[in-house]
Amino acid sequence: MYLLRGVMGAQSAGPQPSGAETVQKLCDRVASSTLLDDRRDAVRALKSLSRKYRLEVGSQAMEHLVNVLQTDRSDVEIIGYALDTLHNIMSNEMDEPDDSEEENSQSQTDDLGSQFTEIFIKQQENITLLLSYLEEFDFQVRWPGVKLVTTLLKQQGPAVQQIILVSPMGVSRLMDLLADSREVIRNDGLLLLQQLTKGNAAIQKIVAFENAFERLLDIITDEGNSDGGIVVEDCLILLQYLLKNNNSNQNFFKEGSYIQRMKPWFEVGDDNTGWSAQKVTNLHLMLQLVRVLVSPMNPPGATSSCQKSMFQCGLLQQLCTILMATGVPADILTETINTVSEVIRGCQINQDYFASVNAPSNPPRPAIVVLLMSMVNERQPFVLRCAVLYCFQCFLYRNQKGQGEIVATLLPSTIDANAVSAGQLLCGGLFSVDSLSNWCAAVALAHALQGNATQKEQLLRVQLATSIGNPPVSLLQQCTNILSQGDKINRRGSKIQTRVGLLMLLCTWLSNCPIAVTHFLHNPSNVPFLTAQISENLGEEEQLVQGLCALLLGICIYNNDNSLENYTKEKLKQLIEKRIGKENFTEKLSFIPKHELYSKAAQKPQPNFSSPDHMMFDHEFTKLVKELEVVIIKAIYKSTEEDKKEEEVKKTLEHHDNIVTHYKNVIREQDLQIEELKQQVMALNSQNEQFQVTVTQQLSQIQQHKDQYNLLKIKQGKDNQLHSSHVEGAQINGIQSEEMIRLREEIEELRKEQDILQGQLAEKDGLIANLKSAQPEVRTERSPPEGVPADGSSENAMELYKELEALRSQIQAQSLEINGLQTERQELLHKIETVTAASALASGDSTAVAASKVAELEERLVASLKETNSLKDEVKTLSEEKSALKQQVDSSNSTAAISQNENKKLEQMLADSKKEQDDLLILLADQDQKLTALKNKLKELGEPVEDEDDLESGDQGDDDVESGDQGDEDDEKEELEED
Amino acid sequence: MAYAYLFKYIIIGDTGVGKSCLLLQFTDKRFQPVHDLTIGVEFGARMITIDGKQIKLQIWDTAGQESFRSITRSYYRGAAGALLVYDITRRDTFNHLTTWLEDARQHSNSNMVIMLIGNKSDLESRREVKKEEGEAFAREHGLIFMETSAKTASNVEEAFINTAKEIYEKIQEGVFDINNEANGIKIGPQHAATNASLSGNQGGHTSGGCC
Repeated sequence: MYLLRGVMGAQSAGPQPSGAETVQKLCDRVASSTLLDDRRDAVRALKSLSRKYRLEVGSQAMEHLVNVLQTDRSDVEIIGYALDTLHNIMSNEMDEPDDSEEENSQSQTDDLGSQFTEIFIKQQENITLLLSYLEEFDFQVRWPGVKLVTTLLKQQGPAVQQIILVSPMGVSRLMDLLADSREVIRNDGLLLLQQLTKGNAAIQKIVAFENAFERLLDIITDEGNSDGGIVVEDCLILLQYLLKNNNSNQNFFKEGSYIQRMKPWFEVGDDNTGWSAQKVTNLHLMLQLVRVLVSPMNPPGATSSCQKSMFQCGLLQQLCTILMATGVPADILTETINTVSEVIRGCQINQDYFASVNAPSNPPRPAIVVLLMSMVNERQPFVLRCAVLYCFQCFLYRNQKGQGEIVATLLPSTIDANAVSAGQLLCGGLFSVDSLSNWCAAVALAHALQGNATQKEQLLRVQLATSIGNPPVSLLQQCTNILSQGDKINRRGSKIQTRVGLLMLLCTWLSNCPIAVTHFLHNPSNVPFLTAQISENLGEEEQLVQGLCALLLGICIYNNDNSLENYTKEKLKQLIEKRIGKENFTEKLSFIPKHELYSKAAQKPQPNFSSPDHMMFDHEFTKLVKELEVVIIKAIYKSTEEDKKEEEVKKTLEHHDNIVTHYKNVIREQDLQIEELKQQVMALNSQNEQFQVTVTQQLSQIQQHKDQYNLLKIKQGKDNQLHSSHVEGAQINGIQSEEMIRLREEIEELRKEQDILQGQLAEKDGLIANLKSAQPEVRTERSPPEGVPADGSSENAMELYKELEALRSQIQAQSLEINGLQTERQELLHKIETVTAASALASGDSTAVAASKVAELEERLVASLKETNSLKDEVKTLSEEKSALKQQVDSSNSTAAISQNENKKLEQMLADSKKEQDDLLILLADQDQKLTALKNKLKELGEPVEDEDDLESGDQGDDDVESGDQGDEDDEKEELEED
Repeated sequence: MAYAYLFKYIIIGDTGVGKSCLLLQFTDKRFQPVHDLTIGVEFGARMITIDGKQIKLQIWDTAGQESFRSITRSYYRGAAGALLVYDITRRDTFNHLTTWLEDARQHSNSNMVIMLIGNKSDLESRREVKKEEGEAFAREHGLIFMETSAKTASNVEEAFINTAKEIYEKIQEGVFDINNEANGIKIGPQHAATNASLSGNQGGHTSGGCC
């Protein structure tokens, strides 16, 4: 800085005041003057000096300028000057060195802007202050403000970004610049946003959130897409900053349906001559933007969803038309090929579409063929040829179908002699004299085999006609032939390139394909060639070829199925040990990954080489090397015993495998069986469940019936208990028998009563007979007084007799009824027994049997159902009978009661009659006494008395007949009751 | 792909309350028990249907950590809806709601619809904040409330859709100026024509922006 000052000081030396002095004076004026006009003039003067005396103004005036910004907010003019001055001192752009001698200080002046910026942003409020001025609508303030912030960001990007990020709504305010109707501010706003978003994902997201995509795409459309000027370019650059490596924004871009809006960008007309440089730049950026969205480096999911929507909206189709259009500048064409490559890479629909694209030639050729023609055409630009190779690789990436189609064009059965096919072009390239074509064709063919065992085997069938008269040679053999004869043929370009290409093809072909290995080993000259190559001590250039030869030999060991006796794993290993040496072999092998070009190729799928000489490794091949290197070294170092052991292990493993497969089959069969059985079980289970349900339903029905039945029984029982009848037999047997006994006992009692009654009657009869015999004697003497009571008693007896008769008949009827009831009851009991037995059997069995034998159960169920039905009917009839019985019992009971009452009456009457008899007896005794007294008196008087007795007996004859009748009836009654 | 309206949402709330999981459950119908801390903001989108209209939801899931607060504040202004999330098993996340709400109200447009969400409702045994408390807070501050589980997907759809319904109703009522995209609402391409008359009524500028 002192140096600079010295230089400047020297220049301005003389009578005039030095720049530093002037700046100092001006600064003082700004600081001290109270007049706004005065300050404004001073700031304007500082501005004019700020370019020439940048250091002075920067170091002395910055503080004062910031003060102006803080205090003179109201005056747009002074603010504008201050902002401009600050911009001048911090920006390096204006600092064009007039003198060549200042060139050496150029780097220092670069530092100057950055240092001033650093000082300025030390006070974070300064940035906040600046941001507030960006909200000022006045052009004089806003425009320099925008430029100043842009400069700050350019000088101290990350620091300023961080300050803006944390200042409230900082980013949002800057986004508003895009909405400014004044194009100058909008355009400078674009530049500001570019600097703002550069490398800061958080800001990129906020800017995107503030509708940046929408606005930028609108500007691009308004400006005429690719025909637009530099503004379109700036927009595209900003879009790229927002999207590159920012998955969140890419997702937002895709979800916002902005991919669809890219399609019109590529709608170029038929006339593609005379594209402006700007248009080329714009299109280039547009293509790059597409590639940002589908880069192979993006997360796979993100890329594939973008690829799909690019196909759906027709963007891919649009790109393919550019691909096939005429007059498109070479670099745009190249970039378009690269873009198409990444749009189709690993996406089956897009790959299929690409395979169907035809060039508008006559006859129409597939785009793939047209592109391959360019690849193997040495007159085409190198980058274009690389792009075509990339396109072809992307077409085949994870595309078994495409791989099959390409290989098929080489197979004898499907070959079409008339049309140029991809296979033909690849073979042509493989055996052309141009090493670049050799390499590209070899790599392209390797990609047709990548990870596809079927195509590796298919390609073995390819035979080539060499010269007339000679037998055809297989493609595999031809490749090794060229490899071994490589030195003899005069080629353009690098011999190594050809050999590396062919070796990569062979390695890819043979890896994981024992049949291809066998084919390769079948030619006895191949292995000696490889061993010779590896063991030779050659120059640095050849080391790569040696390494690849070692790799190929390693693959021959690793993927060897020991089908050739001369070249078994064991023999090849011995060969390495004898001819090359294990250490030497691994060292040669390690040449490959150590190579500078190898690591470069490993980074990205796109073949990107600074010069044709650097075209050595293919990205996919580097993956293969990584995969194989370790296993090959392991395979080489394994001792014979280990190998044998491994073989044995393998054999046992195979044996085990066989057993396992056997068991697997068994298990599979059993699985099937189990499955069937399971289904059966399932079906049966469901059936069972259904049956269970019906069983439970029916059981509950039975239960209901039982309950109903029990209810009825209880009712009946109640009736029976009330009337001491026998109908309780409807209950369970035991109770019924008890009831029977009780009934019998009751009957017995009734009988006894009757017996007693009869006994009493007999006594009475006896008494009456006595009376009869006694009465005639009495009558003779005392007939008039005696007649009244005697008549009364006979009348009573008559009544009694009648009543007894009625009673007898009633009892007879009752006993008949009782008999009938008893028999009915017997029947009833029997029926109940059978019914209860049946129902108990049905219910008991059904639950036990249901689980095991459903069918039987069903039958039983049906039976039980029938039974229950019959039971129901029976119950019905029984209940009817019962009600009938009840009625009968009621009536019989009532009659019985009546008869009992009458019995009682009878008894009473009997008692009465006894009393009367007693009275009579007493009377008789009295009369006897009187009679004896009278007889004695008569005797004393001398009169006979015997006649009177005869008269008395005649009177009493009627009584005798009556009592005799009564006795007969009693006898009858006795007889009946005994029955 | 065509939509009638596009709504911008933000999801805010303390760190670890399950904001990212809610978004993942809503957009991908997945649950990730272990989720990295969100750095800054992450974007997600989904289409929903309300009133027979296709509505595109663009959702910005913000980092809950204090250090990202200044970044996440930039998203308030342009959002039409916000999901304010707390964790029902962590009382402190509920206690911080006031701060969040103040922040949101200060930086957002006044019409922003805020839905309060008590997340992790599947962890009933570890609950520290009662549902009633959430309801009371929401009532007090005029928010919609819901308890969700990003794990079981319970109420997740509803949370996002109900917020959209509320915004949709506000549009119908004419509360939102739909032509100002800064409000977080955009009219879809199919609706631009029909709404031109509407914008005429409001005296606003024509919606040339959308196509």
